[in-house]
Amino acid sequence: MYEEPYRWVEAVGNRRQYLDEQFKQGSPVVALTYEGGILLTTVSKGTPKLYEIYDRLALGGMGHPTDLEKLRFSLLEMAHVEGFNRSPSDVTGSRLVKYGIAPVIKQAFEEVYKAPFIVRILVAELGQKPEKDALLTINYDGTFEETTGRAVLAATSAVQTKMVSYLKEQTPATLSLEQALDLALRTWAIGSLAHQQDEADQQAEANPPTSGAGPSAVAIPSSDTLIAHLRGIAGERTIECAVLDRQAPGTSKYRSLKQADLSRLLPKALQSVVVG
Amino acid sequence: MGMQGDFLQLLKEQGYTLGAPTAIGSGHALTNATTILAFKYRDGVLVAGDRRATAGNMVMYDRTDKVLEIDRHSVMAIAGVPATAYEMVRVLEHSFKYYRRTQLQELSFDGKLRAVSKLLKDNVPAALAGTGAVVPVFAGYDMEQGSAKIYFYDILGAEFEGVEYAVSGSGSPTIRGILHYLNTWGEQPLSVLSEEQAMVQALRLLTSAAEFDSATGGINREASLYPVIKLVTGAGVQTVPDATLKPLYESQVVRYV
Repeated sequence: MYEEPYRWVEAVGNRRQYLDEQFKQGSPVVALTYEGGILLTTVSKGTPKLYEIYDRLALGGMGHPTDLEKLRFSLLEMAHVEGFNRSPSDVTGSRLVKYGIAPVIKQAFEEVYKAPFIVRILVAELGQKPEKDALLTINYDGTFEETTGRAVLAATSAVQTKMVSYLKEQTPATLSLEQALDLALRTWAIGSLAHQQDEADQQAEANPPTSGAGPSAVAIPSSDTLIAHLRGIAGERTIECAVLDRQAPGTSKYRSLKQADLSRLLPKALQSVVVG
Repeated sequence: MGMQGDFLQLLKEQGYTLGAPTAIGSGHALTNATTILAFKYRDGVLVAGDRRATAGNMVMYDRTDKVLEIDRHSVMAIAGVPATAYEMVRVLEHSFKYYRRTQLQELSFDGKLRAVSKLLKDNVPAALAGTGAVVPVFAGYDMEQGSAKIYFYDILGAEFEGVEYAVSGSGSPTIRGILHYLNTWGEQPLSVLSEEQAMVQALRLLTSAAEFDSATGGINREASLYPVIKLVTGAGVQTVPDATLKPLYESQVVRYV
């Protein structure tokens, strides 16, 4: 029945709806550059969402763990074979994404009689020089974007826009790792709160309140509100952080931050929750 | 689908082969690399190698690096045909990284040893044809046991643990005897030497090897040519800079020669 063109368009439309639904429970991922490299942060529910791909490449993901694993393995395979056959400096995030996994994701998305990948992916690349740092995001339909400085993955594009504009607004000229972590977590909280708000608004639409105020006004929450939100959540979830550290010895620049690092780097208000 | 996280298997699936036998044409001398040694000292293992590569009577190169860092906690020193040896090191380097990144844990020390023997075994045809014999010494720090270890291999891939020391290459018979003597009747066993004492011994041993073996390059002060010395400890692999070796050589090696 999908042979007819309009049916196919309809099927792809349904697929988008289905996929959007799948990300509702997902946790946003925030990546930003700081003075020593690139920081990736998320607050995960158990399965890790941040991974090492190659000497200077890191991966962050949202979505189904099995799909993420599958794509992680293809990235690892491509990166290592290329790095061995050519050289490690020929392994670039942009080539892996554009010619490697984005076409695979797009194909799976459009073959409507097969299962799509339920994933959004972020690839961070530490350049030889800070101005060469790159961040790439891929959506579940295979569209990719390349940015510098900051990138996020979120449940909806509206939430994503909110998080990015918060990041833009709040980023000072230079960031230490500690400041970057604080900012990344606050941005994560912006995403998480915006998402809760969306859900509430949708419910309100379904059962209109008698006051009829419409969707609630959007003000940017204060830092305290954001940290309080994180405090509320951190108990049952794990703050997950990884860096691509330009100063790291040896060729592998990826390092995931351990409990000990976090207890030193986290904002004071969060230290007790995570460590205690 | 090969063994989980096996990079060599992945390469093979893509048509890669290591060590295909090739007949050696007459009149061609193969490039060889020569004296390497490893011994345990107080903090870990010291691995050293001279810098000369030869082909028959020709000196091909005097700045070869024969002690190669494979990851943060292991090094391989090579004697034999450098072309094959460097290729093996590249395979190993990528294998260990690939394993760690796919399986989300470090490859165990035993797993690393096994990877080295497997490569040597794959290379047997080339080794027997005379075009690709490699006789490495593998040294590393076993993080699980908290101790440094030395292993040496024959060209077929048999693995032997060098409990105190191991040597390989054409200059090695000379220093093997010296190491045995030092370790048994020296003032103190090798394993209690301090870092500085260990480096001095390594410089003396390589100078002795160069004295009796034409294929081993000695120390050349005029050209600031010093051996490659790496220290493998719990903190990782550390390369000793020439600036450290120079004064040690001048104060404690030269006047004895």
